Amino acid sequence: MALNGDEEDFEWEPPSEAEMKVIQARRERQDKISKLMGDYLLKGYKMLGECCDLCGTILLQDKQQKNYCVSCQELDSDIDKDNPALNAQAALSQVRERQLAAQSPPPPHAPQLNGGASSSQSGGTVPQPRPEHCEGAAAGGRALLPPPVAPTPAAPAAATTLAPSRPPVSPQSSTLRPVLQEAEEAVLTKLRWATTQLQSSASLETSIQLCSLITSCASSLRSLKELSQ
Amino acid sequence: MLSVKHLHLKHALQTVCTLEAVILRSFGPEGGQVLFTRDTGQAMLSCSGTQILKALRLEHPLARMVVECVWKHSAVTGDGSKTFVLLLASILRLIHAAASKAPGVSQWSTEAAEAATARHLADKLLAFAMTELDDLICVSVAPHGFCVSSEDFTTKTQLPSCPNGFCVQALLSSFFHTRLDYVHCDFLSGLACELLGHWKFQNDTLSFALQFLNDNFPALHTQVSGFPVSSSHVIEGQVIHRDFATPCLQVNNQPVKAVVVTEYLQPKLLRRGDMLDLGCGGRVTGEKSIIPFSAWTERSLESVIATLQSLGVSVLLCAVKQSAAALALAAQAEMCLVECVSEEELSLFVRLSGVAPISDCWMIQPENVATLTFCKPIQLGAHRYVHVAFCDSEERVGVKPCSLVICGSGEVQTEQYASAFQDAIRMLFTTWEPTRMTETTALKKPVQSHQCTSLNAHNLTEDTVCRSSDVYVLKPGCVIPAGGTFEFLLHHALLQHGRSCSASNYTNTGVGVSQILADALLTVPRQIYSHNLKSFLQTQTRVTSFTSNQPHHFMLLKNARGTTEDPEKGDEPSKLFTLDSGLESVSCKHQLLLAVLQCLTSLLRVNAVVRTHTALHSASHTHAKMSEESADDETED
Repeated sequence: MALNGDEEDFEWEPPSEAEMKVIQARRERQDKISKLMGDYLLKGYKMLGECCDLCGTILLQDKQQKNYCVSCQELDSDIDKDNPALNAQAALSQVRERQLAAQSPPPPHAPQLNGGASSSQSGGTVPQPRPEHCEGAAAGGRALLPPPVAPTPAAPAAATTLAPSRPPVSPQSSTLRPVLQEAEEAVLTKLRWATTQLQSSASLETSIQLCSLITSCASSLRSLKELSQ
Repeated sequence: MLSVKHLHLKHALQTVCTLEAVILRSFGPEGGQVLFTRDTGQAMLSCSGTQILKALRLEHPLARMVVECVWKHSAVTGDGSKTFVLLLASILRLIHAAASKAPGVSQWSTEAAEAATARHLADKLLAFAMTELDDLICVSVAPHGFCVSSEDFTTKTQLPSCPNGFCVQALLSSFFHTRLDYVHCDFLSGLACELLGHWKFQNDTLSFALQFLNDNFPALHTQVSGFPVSSSHVIEGQVIHRDFATPCLQVNNQPVKAVVVTEYLQPKLLRRGDMLDLGCGGRVTGEKSIIPFSAWTERSLESVIATLQSLGVSVLLCAVKQSAAALALAAQAEMCLVECVSEEELSLFVRLSGVAPISDCWMIQPENVATLTFCKPIQLGAHRYVHVAFCDSEERVGVKPCSLVICGSGEVQTEQYASAFQDAIRMLFTTWEPTRMTETTALKKPVQSHQCTSLNAHNLTEDTVCRSSDVYVLKPGCVIPAGGTFEFLLHHALLQHGRSCSASNYTNTGVGVSQILADALLTVPRQIYSHNLKSFLQTQTRVTSFTSNQPHHFMLLKNARGTTEDPEKGDEPSKLFTLDSGLESVSCKHQLLLAVLQCLTSLLRVNAVVRTHTALHSASHTHAKMSEESADDETED
């Protein structure tokens, strides 16, 4: 619509698929923000004439004169989800990108979400680049071709987000042992701790929870033993 | 140092979308009501868009500007405040999308370029609406409507000449249904029709009566709380919302004479700032005291009362509070005195009785004396008021002045019913207002051939020269079925217009304005039928089938008659009307579109906010710390 004549300077092309998704996601986020702000206004909040410094959303003020930014404090941040330090999903995708980029052993690190008491999947696989919703993965996925995948069962889809990712089954078992030993030690420590807690606990609920913790520690140990064999 | 903050298109978009989110759940026939509670514990239920928006606490200048526009629009047409916000939000979204997609505006563009594009689009939209929209509506939408007869205000079942259901009461009933609850809409619309029937001057048009009612509505209604709504009624004459200050001895309905007094009967002894010069005037008594002065004032009061008595006056309506001596003397003379009557009520009284108010108490003429049929106290709810009735006069033949008593269960509810009544009158006034030929429509006719304004470029079989003498004017009283019919018809017409424009020529500017307007209009029926998508599709199909069946009917009729009016295919409504569909006014919708586009252009012209420390407009702004100005655009296209 601009009436400038320098159209030849900018070759406008329609946005690509991924960019469309980003635009769509941004639009949905803006709609969500508007809806939340409308609800707060109906609750009696005041709409100020200022914008948030971080995200540019209009600020609200409650009856106690406290300023409130809907997008920063309530919605998941748009950019934080790409930050590996804050988001496990982003960390996982970063790990996968590194594995794709260099065919070297991946860092033996998995973000432990449940304090080491989570059950792990025994399927060792080469993690494939899955369509992620963050830009980093999309950019990474576009840049490289995936390596030929070993014919192993497909990586578990959702459970992997909670489970620590397993290192690939590759002829590098020398690096595997110390990792497994560390894991075993961690689980045994937790088991010991749970046992002492169970001996001293007085409430029923706590005892039940400690017993389930012990059960899951035992099953983790079992899978670790299977892996090392 | 004044702080300047720059606003961008996204701020406007976010503000308007937030306001849309606020009113969205109350929109439509299935919309809910908002419960407001004050810190005092007072609660109010409302689904009026203006009330909801005005109750929000907004300090953002753009939001306040939008709410002000909504309020002003609603003050003129009485309806459509939620539709206003909905349309504004959807047009703004489409403009935002168009501005960011436009060639030359890629991801490296500055926000200023985007804002400039948006502003340009908004200006084009407004120009289009001012010049071509009314023609489009007259040609493509109005033929499917129906002109409601303004002659009869009886209920819908009793009207033989007019097809069942299409009269003023049906229009009012659908209005009250959207504004208040379903239970009382028929009763209230009947009441309104009764009121209008009494007030319609026989030789004048309905719009004159409606304007009179609109201007004097505060004086013509009384709110009584504590009674059910069905106790509302119309009473004869005027109710003055004051009680008698002296005992009223009249018990029978006898004709009385009344005067209107705007000044003090007894000259005030001393007012603030007055200086009384004692002992001057040639008296040689040597005594300086205030007693002669007060004696003089009492004597003048006695003479005034004596004059009034000689004229046979027994009712005094005063605009100010009279002194105790005046009250005592009036009571002694058996005259009823009403004090502190409001200016509106006094002016209405003066207008209806045809007398002039007394401005100088020493010059009371017979022209100042009005004859009333009766003047007695009336008990309405918890208050006692003065009830007067006027004698028939030659000026108002066939008109029986009457006023409305509106009852409600609580004060807040009664006030809502009263404001709904006033908005209904405004809506009717907008519907029946004779269409004004604006300057733009008058000027554009000679240059028609040069512009792409040919609406029926493909349909018109004859020369466009004879069209230049035609005037497309919407007939007063045109209504259309409610539920999105207007929007569907106009959407269809705009798409056709857009296609014919781009096919025929030159001003193909990428995203056509008619396309934007057409897309934006569809959000209204989408929201109406948001609970029931099937009805949306059914209505759309039904309306589109009508437009495709009768493309040339209008043109053929016009050629046959050779007239310049907008024909209605006889007196029968088109088959678009179903018996249970509500009615809405076409001119209200037209005004709404114009108002939305004007608000949009002024919204997009703002691009800086300057905080000042002093009040700029103390009358209109409560928070006087902020002001807005539109700064010039820094980058040119």
